[in-house]
Amino acid sequence: MAASKVKQDMPPPGGYGPVDYKRNLPKRGLSGYSMLAIGVGVMCFGYWRLFKWNRERRRLQIEELEARIALLPLLQAEQDRRQLRMLRENLEEEAVVMKGVPGWKVGENVFHTDRWVAPLTEELFNLRPREELLHKRFGFLWYV
Amino acid sequence: MPGSVEVPTFNDLNVEEISVSSAVLKGAAHHYGSQCDKANKEFMLCRWEEKDPRKCLNEGKKVNECALNFFRQIKGSCAESFTEYWTCLDYSNLAELRQCRQQQQAFDSCVQDKLGWERPNLGELSKVTKVDTSRPLPENAYHSRPRPEPNPVIEGQLQPAKHGSRLFFWSW
Repeated sequence: MAASKVKQDMPPPGGYGPVDYKRNLPKRGLSGYSMLAIGVGVMCFGYWRLFKWNRERRRLQIEELEARIALLPLLQAEQDRRQLRMLRENLEEEAVVMKGVPGWKVGENVFHTDRWVAPLTEELFNLRPREELLHKRFGFLWYV
Repeated sequence: MPGSVEVPTFNDLNVEEISVSSAVLKGAAHHYGSQCDKANKEFMLCRWEEKDPRKCLNEGKKVNECALNFFRQIKGSCAESFTEYWTCLDYSNLAELRQCRQQQQAFDSCVQDKLGWERPNLGELSKVTKVDTSRPLPENAYHSRPRPEPNPVIEGQLQPAKHGSRLFFWSW
């Protein structure tokens, strides 16, 4: 054969390097205990933040409730006057409507006691359009 | 025969009302609670003791007067900052106080400088107070009928029953 220089694909001079064929499972990352500790730590931090925020929310809620407490006398007085005004209107209307009916006392007390009995909504809104009664009963409801 | 229910006339019920919306009231609530405290507490005491709204109309009038006075004072001195504050409150459906802290700060400082009012701290408005009134305590607020006499004291020695309790068939 000719010992001429034919271009062939030959291994590098000195041969190839060593081939690692053995298993390579390096130990890396955190240990189990430390991962648990990190998880528990994150949870504790979350709880602490949650409790702090809940206390803050409680303070805010107390503030809003106090605003309501401060306004209650005004609202109660207005409500009382409104109720009494409606009762007065009903009384005068009753005097007009039941005029001449034998044996009917206008404004008669239907109870045997003389203490104040809170009037029912139906009683107050008796002579008004049904719309007003429904608005009074269900106007503030958010649910169906 | 039951009598008739007394309802006050329109004259008695004619009181100058406050025509102001809910955000305004909520914004001014804390200051209102500390300034108009006396009239408010008297009205509530009257209402809860007498259990009758007709008897507390005068106190209610005083409550209204105090509130009107309060709002007139605010309008007189701190109108702009108060308007900003309640407009900010009115923006949300719930009128949350925590969304408007800046405007609240501005309003508080304005009111403190001009009128000398301090905003009550947390928890001061919900304290239980003693009210000093000249109105006497009503006796028998519930208009209850006279209660029956208590049973008379049993005379003589009480012994256990002879031959057991004799309740149905038990004999011990």
